Amino acid sequence: MRSDVRDLLRPWLGEDVAFLERLSDDELGQLCDALGVARRAEAKAIAAASDEALRQMPAPLRSGIARLVGR
Amino acid sequence: MGADLATRAELVKLARALGTTSDGVEFASALGARDIRLLRERVVGALYDEHRAAFRRVAAITRTLPTSLNVRIALRAFSPLLAARVAGEMAPERAAELANRMPVEYLAEACVQLDPRRAQPLISRIDRPRVVAVVSELIRRDDFITLGRMLDASTEEMLADISTTIADDALLRIGLYAESGAQLTRAVAALTPERLRGVVHSALTGAPDLRSTALAVVSRVTDEALRGRLAAYAAELDDETLTALLHTAVAENAVAELLTAVAAMPEPARRRMLALPALEDPAIRPRLEQHDLWHQLSPSIGH
Repeated sequence: MRSDVRDLLRPWLGEDVAFLERLSDDELGQLCDALGVARRAEAKAIAAASDEALRQMPAPLRSGIARLVGR
Repeated sequence: MGADLATRAELVKLARALGTTSDGVEFASALGARDIRLLRERVVGALYDEHRAAFRRVAAITRTLPTSLNVRIALRAFSPLLAARVAGEMAPERAAELANRMPVEYLAEACVQLDPRRAQPLISRIDRPRVVAVVSELIRRDDFITLGRMLDASTEEMLADISTTIADDALLRIGLYAESGAQLTRAVAALTPERLRGVVHSALTGAPDLRSTALAVVSRVTDEALRGRLAAYAAELDDETLTALLHTAVAENAVAELLTAVAAMPEPARRRMLALPALEDPAIRPRLEQHDLWHQLSPSIGH
């Protein structure tokens, strides 16, 4: 389990996070969950803010800007 | 025994970064302040970098528009979250130009959302009175974590402005969350001796959380002479107040910070502090004896 969680965390926290070795399996799992929740919340907040921003744009520009920002 | 002050402050900052509560990051408490900070920096990097590409494209568009139009678009269509993320991808000079034309409340919210790694070049270019106004707004919101980051990003002149305009308790609470001891030291050093004495006295005669915050700030100051002055002001207070400080240090697991302050006191004050009857309390004495600094200090008064 430990190496699985580390593999999940590594792309986000970097390869050189030696201090993670000091966390138990349970603690590593909690960190992984917390980061996942935070990433999803962040994506949701940005998507909501981007949608609202697009709604405020003049209609003819909307689709072009949406493509540009990846919406 | 709970975590020490520095660890608790770092857990609060990690919780903010992850959008959770202090209980939600309890898993990291065993790491200690230094590694929790490293973890937080990585978490911040992960969360902010994930969506950077889109914000970079928006920032590129702003380069083609005049500042006044950018301000109008931002205020009409961008939430402070979006504005902060785009600002983080703009040239700092250009982003500061926009910030100087935005309402203080909007800017304060944007500061909460700003990528901490990009705050310094931007904030240092914003007009000083505007930065002070944003600081006041964030104090009104009790957002001392964001203020701790802003302290780090401020220029020497801004530090002087901020230090001299905000209330004593706010200054201490910002100090608790300041990212850099050196910047905190500059902010404290900007105060006049009278103000500094007032800050120390009001903290130590105030609520227990303010007393422990003051201990954290004194121990984080990097200039020994300045720490000595702060400790000397503390030593001017009566035995009852110093005993209350001792009890707070034990209750809040801030004994190391207390001993650092005691070590910085002038000799007569140190002797008085180390002669407090409460030091003989069997509930207190063992807590002191866990620290090397106690064993260095105590022979001087025959403990």
